[in-house]
Amino acid sequence: MKKSVDVSIPLGPMHPCWKEPVRLKCETAGERVLKTEMELGYMKKGIERIMRGRPWQEVMFLAERVCGICSVIHNMVFIETMEEISDIAVPPRAAYLRVVVNELDRMASHLIANFSYCYTIEHETLAMYLLNTREIVLDNLERITGSRINTAYMIPGGVRFDLLPEDAAAMLADLVKVEEEMKRYVRIFETGPLIALRSKGIGFMSHEEAIRAHTVGPTARASGVEDSDLRLRHPTYRALGFTQITRTEGDNFARNMVRFQEVFQSIDLIRKCIETLPEGPIRGGGLCKAGETSYAGEAPRGELTYTIKTDEYGRVVDIAIRTPSIMNIEACAHTMIKGATSIADVTSTFISSDPCVACNER
Amino acid sequence: MSILQDIKNAVRSRSIHVAYVDVGSCNGCDIEVLACLAPRYDIEQYGIYVHNNPREADVLLVIGSVTPQWVDKLRDIWDKIPEPKVAVAIGNCPISGCVYARRGTLTSPPVEKYIPIAAQVPGCPPRPTEILNAILSVAPLIYKDYEEKQL
Amino acid sequence: MKFLYEKDLRQMKYNILTSTRHDETVRAIAQHLGVSNAKLRMVLIRRLDMSLLENLGSRWEMGLQHADDGDPLAEELGYELFTRFIPLVDTETMQTIYADTTAMTQDMPFNDAIARGKERIREAVLS
Repeated sequence: MKKSVDVSIPLGPMHPCWKEPVRLKCETAGERVLKTEMELGYMKKGIERIMRGRPWQEVMFLAERVCGICSVIHNMVFIETMEEISDIAVPPRAAYLRVVVNELDRMASHLIANFSYCYTIEHETLAMYLLNTREIVLDNLERITGSRINTAYMIPGGVRFDLLPEDAAAMLADLVKVEEEMKRYVRIFETGPLIALRSKGIGFMSHEEAIRAHTVGPTARASGVEDSDLRLRHPTYRALGFTQITRTEGDNFARNMVRFQEVFQSIDLIRKCIETLPEGPIRGGGLCKAGETSYAGEAPRGELTYTIKTDEYGRVVDIAIRTPSIMNIEACAHTMIKGATSIADVTSTFISSDPCVACNER
Repeated sequence: MSILQDIKNAVRSRSIHVAYVDVGSCNGCDIEVLACLAPRYDIEQYGIYVHNNPREADVLLVIGSVTPQWVDKLRDIWDKIPEPKVAVAIGNCPISGCVYARRGTLTSPPVEKYIPIAAQVPGCPPRPTEILNAILSVAPLIYKDYEEKQL
Repeated sequence: MKFLYEKDLRQMKYNILTSTRHDETVRAIAQHLGVSNAKLRMVLIRRLDMSLLENLGSRWEMGLQHADDGDPLAEELGYELFTRFIPLVDTETMQTIYADTTAMTQDMPFNDAIARGKERIREAVLS
């Protein structure tokens, strides 16, 4: 890119605020950011190239390892794509259990996103509260699936483990605790004057710019993009009466508040699932066949699309993954950060868009 | 030997500064390192302070198999850490490459090719308690009587 | 000790552009502009940064859906498409080309004017 100013401030790849390596080159005049350029390649593992020519049994585990934070949804979307290719029906109980595990994962992901934001604006107390609440959520995930991060819970035609009644009871008790704690933390976040100074009106992205960069997930919903949640189209979520959360401010504060509100929504969805959990088998079985299709699901960060082509033995011939972070990070770097009045706001704005570089580069 | 050395040993065992560098993982291990900060595990009660500054770090946690961008930069970061220093590999990726060490990959594991590794914590990802345990057990071994070993 | 960390990014950018989805997009853009794939790839690698390259597919899709609604001339030239959605041409250059082409439509058939405008856009992209 042509250099138009004399001061260029690089941030990263190793930066105290960033969980993952990425390099932002901000061209500035004084403290004002005129233009940003992003340098990636620190996490490019070539996972799509590894996946090609392998049986789905292997690709299933590789798909989870595209991203560690939202591994459940990567598993879920890959499996649902394979089910769509091969016409495998899912038993109703398994479909509900998928929603439970997916929402637990979403809560954990949103909590760590808001933790990083609070940590970046140096509100360490709230950050630690949120991280501790995340541990309770992960405990429940571990109790159901047997693992904290990479769960491999779903398989074509069902799920691996059933939800035992005592586990469900323990989870509901934990959720009451989480909800009470979260209400307090959201009040702290909403009413904190210093948080408002660092968050409100900073990193603004308008509705048009959100559409232009095809932003998805909480980043788009905070800018008032209607109908941007794919859970509205998922049959199980529709049966549970899911509605989308939208805010119109489009700044750092709105993006974090959308995530906070979605945590409460996830708690409600899990409760509704447990209430109406149908009886029956958790695994239907089926055979993976040849075909080609594209399928999308709603990850914690937004729309996640898998395009898969398989052969008759269930091997993956070609695969293309489009993760939500690609659009969100790009929009963040080129529209939100542009015009930031201080370099200190660059890091917090970048973190507020919930960047997941491992997803972004795969 | 000397009282000074004893004081240094005592101080160093309760003040370990940690930096972590992600050289291309799925960031599952990354967030498990962050989870160590949570009050439940409370990494700071052992005198371990996690911040991402190699200039004042004692322990470098290396996460992930090595991607093209890190091939030259990992050594730079290692050189910036003042002595005495130690690197700990977290997860399967820096040890063997985990699932990424296949045909068509862009990574080039293991990390041992680039910097010396003192301890390894296998797991995909390891639990926070295991990470904590590894740091606590490896750091004193390296720092004990460091000045005397130099002579 | 070296103090600058600028590295040659061309190979990594090329890796991004040659994955399945991105390759399809590059071919579509090249067809729309009427240039060869390899030349367009070279221009993309030189002009755009890595996150824009990663996001090329979705920006192209959104551009086809939302850019230049209602104006047939702007739609043919890709007025917003190549300035705002995929920034390959400067806004000023695009404005001059658009103004000149609008003037040209007065005294020659619409299609000829469009062809000349497209030729100038191709030059601007490849320059």
